[in-house]
Amino acid sequence: MNSQTISLFRFLMLGILSKRLLVLVAVMVLGAVLSGSFIDELAIINGAAIQTAFVADFLRYGLALLALLMIATSVAEDYESRQFERLLTMPLARWQYIAAQTLVIACLCLLLVLPVMVLISIYSNVAMGVYWAVALWLELFLLGLLGLLAILSLEKIPQAVIFTLAIYLLAKLSGLITLMLAESVKLSEGSVTSRVIEFIFSAILYVIPGTNSFAESDVFFDHVDLVALLGEQLLEVVVYALFILAVCLIDFYRKEFNI
Amino acid sequence: MRRGERPILQLPRILVLGFVFLLAAQVTLHHYSQLRFENRYQALGKPFSAPIYSGMAMGSEQLLGHLLAIRLQLHDSQVGQHFSYNLIDYPILLDWLDRITMVSHGTEYPMLLASRVYTTTRDQQRLRLILGFIQRRFEDDPQLHWRRLAEASVIAKHRLGDLELALEMAAKIADQPASVKMPNWARDFKFLLLAEMNELESAIAIIQALLQSNAVHDPDEKRFLEVKLLEFQQKLFESQQSADG
Repeated sequence: MNSQTISLFRFLMLGILSKRLLVLVAVMVLGAVLSGSFIDELAIINGAAIQTAFVADFLRYGLALLALLMIATSVAEDYESRQFERLLTMPLARWQYIAAQTLVIACLCLLLVLPVMVLISIYSNVAMGVYWAVALWLELFLLGLLGLLAILSLEKIPQAVIFTLAIYLLAKLSGLITLMLAESVKLSEGSVTSRVIEFIFSAILYVIPGTNSFAESDVFFDHVDLVALLGEQLLEVVVYALFILAVCLIDFYRKEFNI
Repeated sequence: MRRGERPILQLPRILVLGFVFLLAAQVTLHHYSQLRFENRYQALGKPFSAPIYSGMAMGSEQLLGHLLAIRLQLHDSQVGQHFSYNLIDYPILLDWLDRITMVSHGTEYPMLLASRVYTTTRDQQRLRLILGFIQRRFEDDPQLHWRRLAEASVIAKHRLGDLELALEMAAKIADQPASVKMPNWARDFKFLLLAEMNELESAIAIIQALLQSNAVHDPDEKRFLEVKLLEFQQKLFESQQSADG
């Protein structure tokens, strides 16, 4: 069972690595370094911290988009080339495909965060570089799993990418949206519509990643306990990742393929 | 040998009139282009509330706060030109500085902009506003902001000529507990200002209290205080004698 999953993982990973991944990462790192240097020139004080945080955040969003596109493209190609039908004729369980894809996402995220770790270690220090690499890996892994769920369900790249980005931004902007909805209830003097919308959003918040699931760039400015911060993030990501994998399995087992 | 010159009135009239006309044209054109230039200035918009910025930061409040500070710092440079700080609406500017302070806690950037950049205005009213901001925000973190308040005190004394305000600021620095680490000169600023205001008795009392409480350990600082004490006592004695005479 395991050897089949590993073979499938190798096959899928090779498919991703052939997409000029390294060139894209190098371009992104170059862009981050150049724009970070520009910001550093403008800052009167705290230039080093601002530059590091800017580079870290620039790479976070750049790599998140890259990882998402890679994963969505990979699964979409499997749909288009009728790969699933071929795989199901082999002695392979459906969960093995999900397991192999999870391994691919984990390895892809690792490949993406390694240059970031080196870069942040140079800008700041090794401890900070390691923190950011681990925290970013967890964030990208979570996003990758969301992307996997989206592409398995929606089967089309644009819809899957938009859906995943929407969930990602919704989770990241949940504080702002909650604030706006609370203001809207106040301004409408507690109208039923505003209250219902506020209730629906607060219910949605239960099934999207919590704010602790993401890397915190404030660490470049404040003295915080990095291990405790990572511990909180790890707990949230593990629980949410298992939840997403369960949904992926349910969705994938429900699909009917014409073998 | 200097060449002789004909009086202006002997020059051809058309030449003189042409000169006057072109001078007037140049002055008028410059005046209107200056007005046009000032009209091109885009006023500072009102900031959103701090929770909105915190929400928009997507977890990177410190970075967003610093980027907003840099954006604010660049506000006077528009369309490739530098605009005078007198064009900036200072109450709105203070709102921005307050928001940035609230979004990125523990940052020194807004206070630095206030004390080093926006105090360069020649407008006394604007200067008072910005000094008020520094004085108010000093309370947030005296350890981080004592330099800014010391700078503000110097500005109040030399640029505003308001010794009362300068003394108020210096007193705030001097009254900080010993746990707030700062050089002794910052705390000494208060009695130096008192002496300048001819409040020699108060200045002498402060120095004597400092020396008697053994709060000063640095020998150079101790010597400086002793010299100042003698100097103020001498001045007080002289002033009392002249009053009696």
